Amino acid sequence: MSVLAGGVVQGRITPAGRIVGALNRTVIHVSLSLIALIWLVPTLGLLVTSFRPRSDIQATGWWDIFNLHLTIDNYRQVLEAQGMFQAFANTVFITVPSTLLPLGICALAAYAFSWMRFPFRDTLFLIVVGLLMVPVQVAFIPVLTGMRDLVPGLELTRGYGAVWLAHTAFALPFGIFLLRNFFITLPPDMIEAARIDGASDPWIFRKIVVPVSVPAIAAYGIFQFLWVWNDLLMALIFVQDASKYPMTRAIQNLLSQYGTEWHLLAAGAFLLMIVPLIVFFSLQRYFVQGLLAGSIK
Amino acid sequence: MGVAPQGLELTRDYRSLSGGRTAARRARGPESPRWGTTILFLGPAGLLLFVFLVYPAIYTVLLSFNRGRNGIFEQWVGLDNYARLFSDPDFINLSTFPPSGALWNNVLWIVFYVSIVIFLGLIIAVVAARVRYESVVKAIVFIPMSIAATALAVIWKFVYSPDANIGLINAILGAVGVAPVSWLGDQGIVNFALIAVGIWGSVGFATIILSAAVKSIPAEVIESARVEGANERQIFFRMILPMVSLPMSVLAVTLVVNVIKLFDLIYVMTHGGPGKSSQVIAFTMFQQAFEAGQYGYGSAVAVVMLVLLIPILIFNVRRFRTSSVT
Amino acid sequence: MRSTRPLAAIAFIASIVITACGGTGTPTPVGTAAAGSTITVMSLWGGSEQASFQKVLDAFKAKSGVIANYESIRDNYSTILQTRISGGNPPDVAIIPGIGFLRQFARQGSLKKVADLGIDVNALKANYPPGILEIGQVDGTQYAIMVKFNSKSTMWFRPDKFKTLGVSTPSDFAGFTKLLADIKAKGTTPMGLGAADSWTLTDWFENIYAKQAGPEKYDKLFSGTLPWTDASVATAVDTMKSAIKDEYVAGGITAALGRSFTDGIGQAFAANGTAVIYYEGGFVGGIATGQTNTALKVGESIDWFDFPAVGSGKTVTIGGDVIAAFSNKPGVKEFIAYMTSADSGSVWAGTGAVISPVKAVPASAYPNDLAKREAAQVASASAVRFDGSDLLPSGGGDNLGAALQNAIQGKTVDWAAFETAMAAKWKAEK
Repeated sequence: MSVLAGGVVQGRITPAGRIVGALNRTVIHVSLSLIALIWLVPTLGLLVTSFRPRSDIQATGWWDIFNLHLTIDNYRQVLEAQGMFQAFANTVFITVPSTLLPLGICALAAYAFSWMRFPFRDTLFLIVVGLLMVPVQVAFIPVLTGMRDLVPGLELTRGYGAVWLAHTAFALPFGIFLLRNFFITLPPDMIEAARIDGASDPWIFRKIVVPVSVPAIAAYGIFQFLWVWNDLLMALIFVQDASKYPMTRAIQNLLSQYGTEWHLLAAGAFLLMIVPLIVFFSLQRYFVQGLLAGSIK
Repeated sequence: MGVAPQGLELTRDYRSLSGGRTAARRARGPESPRWGTTILFLGPAGLLLFVFLVYPAIYTVLLSFNRGRNGIFEQWVGLDNYARLFSDPDFINLSTFPPSGALWNNVLWIVFYVSIVIFLGLIIAVVAARVRYESVVKAIVFIPMSIAATALAVIWKFVYSPDANIGLINAILGAVGVAPVSWLGDQGIVNFALIAVGIWGSVGFATIILSAAVKSIPAEVIESARVEGANERQIFFRMILPMVSLPMSVLAVTLVVNVIKLFDLIYVMTHGGPGKSSQVIAFTMFQQAFEAGQYGYGSAVAVVMLVLLIPILIFNVRRFRTSSVT
Repeated sequence: MRSTRPLAAIAFIASIVITACGGTGTPTPVGTAAAGSTITVMSLWGGSEQASFQKVLDAFKAKSGVIANYESIRDNYSTILQTRISGGNPPDVAIIPGIGFLRQFARQGSLKKVADLGIDVNALKANYPPGILEIGQVDGTQYAIMVKFNSKSTMWFRPDKFKTLGVSTPSDFAGFTKLLADIKAKGTTPMGLGAADSWTLTDWFENIYAKQAGPEKYDKLFSGTLPWTDASVATAVDTMKSAIKDEYVAGGITAALGRSFTDGIGQAFAANGTAVIYYEGGFVGGIATGQTNTALKVGESIDWFDFPAVGSGKTVTIGGDVIAAFSNKPGVKEFIAYMTSADSGSVWAGTGAVISPVKAVPASAYPNDLAKREAAQVASASAVRFDGSDLLPSGGGDNLGAALQNAIQGKTVDWAAFETAMAAKWKAEK
């Protein structure tokens, strides 16, 4: 960790130290640039490839920038002929309810665990903490066959019902946990005062707790949104009508269907990435804050 | 790469330490419970959790002792499924060196993925803190965190392609006269190639967490150590490292959980291949249940996943309980 | 039961012999009572193969008034089918590749018996050469019917480039390896190979094994009664490795392990292809001329010769699909019945994509020389065997493919461990 010595914060300043410092600073800049390069180039390669004509992709590498012709044909083809437009819409249909539902349900439960009094409250909450570690895999088989055997009339797996419910339910332990941990940090006086004024729990929840918790709820919402947007596993099991497949499944199909039609794959993968990237760049602060929500203080 | 939501679990551990205590003291409602309101608030969550998680988990445990064809209790087989699982060389094969099988691959992932992610994360966090463009570097390594594992798989299938017109790595190797390597086609290499993708996807997460931890160390503490003559090496090993060891251990736990649940990346990049050499347990569970229709056997794999996570579960619950009781 | 089924698969074979020669089976009457209903049919074809099958569905609609919607599942076929069965949402009809899957779905009680659909199984016998129907039986009950097959003993090559190179097609395996060496000596790397799809390797192995060890041993090996430790297995693998050598495979074996089957076809038949030989089944013709390179001319730039005999063995291997019903909705019975008729067989055969097992499909139904010769090859073979990896229990084909991927890289395969794993799979399936 000798690189540290060349840091901005310098202890002793001697001429020799200054040289060593400059040298070390160069090492820092070079290694950081290398890291940035390794983390950028693969994605950049995909982006460039997605705009190159098929014949070019087969003939030369994307890094052959002297031979660069750009086209949006790949996108046109993958959106129209390969049904990626429909898949994009399907992803939205799957993601929006699968984000809003758990958000609401978790907030309600988290409020109860923070500010309401009922028997076994702490025990129940410990169970929720325990459920956090239960792998969703243990639920797949009974949930799927249950939809077939117990409620066949609902035809849940033919529509989006199955995937909405599954995403919502499996998101709960974490969501409740996160929001509860935020809610308990709210000043108790605020809530006590409202109670003394005769406010009911639903009123306190709606008028006090939710409004002041918007940042935490938003942070959780972003994560749940990305989680569902990016999910493949649940879609594999719970979305069974081919016309309702989300993008993750559509891309998986592209991969197997055409061997390696790189021009379509690249465009398809970029369409899948675009929304998360926009969320990341526009809501970066929320995003990272959510990640760290109250963690390290 | 799908690590994100679990990433938040990290926060829980800290929160439970600091917030739990206040919870017991502060969180008081009216003296007697109001049942109607309680059910209104807890009902939806309770119902969903029971129907979709608690009851199914019990069902799956029972099904693992059954033949379970078509997901129905059909014929009790005792421990047969487990006996078969642990004698299946595709699941765990200790008779060769190195060992192989899905469970062994998870071990490889835990050893290499977890340690390298933390190591790189810490280095980048510490080093980047010394430059003005720190936030840019952190943002760049963090980008893969927002991307679907499916997209990550496509990106890296490009990079790994044996075709020198497609695959960047083999193009570079070719330029220096090295024969192309079939990164995803060689049974001895494929796991490491996949782990590298996993690392690429998760370092950003570790960087953000550890960077925050490093910054939480008061500058005066470090400065006074310097004044007392400590060199940078000593500062790193004697001060920074111990002070980030807690977030680091929590990070490690989160990454281990990620490994046990790892699925999408493997499914899309190799489908467990070539042959079965890159399977991991979550993949095996999926394949046995939803491809081969062997639900009893698949349930046994799911139960193994659960068992592997139980120590972490107990750890979390215990930690939470001790912190909230005091 | 596992000893009887593969035997049935074998008996069928003697039978196919007459298939392409035509016959006079009674065409099954097609009902129109279900006119106006809609059914879903699932199978794994995309691209040109899907287009061919769509012609059959269109003909069925015209005839019966039933709309059959096709759903293509190109990969992970059993996953999608199995999750849909478990979710209570199966297709009405599926065309299933692989007898292992058929056993899986039948034994878990998901399939309708053919008899329960109201189709007289005995009456069907007249439509097929003896032995064909048995392929679709599980534990003695008719669950499915074979609707199409392809030869898997077709070695595809570039006649134009053979001419330029001054080489000719070989008659036996020794001649084949000499041909490879000759082409290599002239500066061309002869073979394309897409071994990331490991089933292409199992097809190689099965061809060689059936010819070298003989059909009887083949039957035993792929029904779990002859252990994989038998010396004949290692011998066949060695023979295979004498052709699949690093210097004969375009781009080398390492790269081939990362290449898909369709990309392997491209190595020989794409516009910029450099290889001159590619081995896979009869369906390569349709994919190469329909998708890879539409400029190909049959007989000039694409053709096939018999997979070379090993010693005196000339057993032909085939791969085929069976049709089975998951529901008895109106239209399902009609569709299954239609698929057993010479009408459907002729339409499908007419696309050049498949060979029909229905006796009454005349040789003239095949549109081109490639398909006609493919049908004739199977019909005139001394022995025909069904694709062995499709007979293995679920996952068994992958294991074999992986072992062969190791073998062509020069690694030793532990056949004893392989046998243990395979025996466990046979046991678990029962």
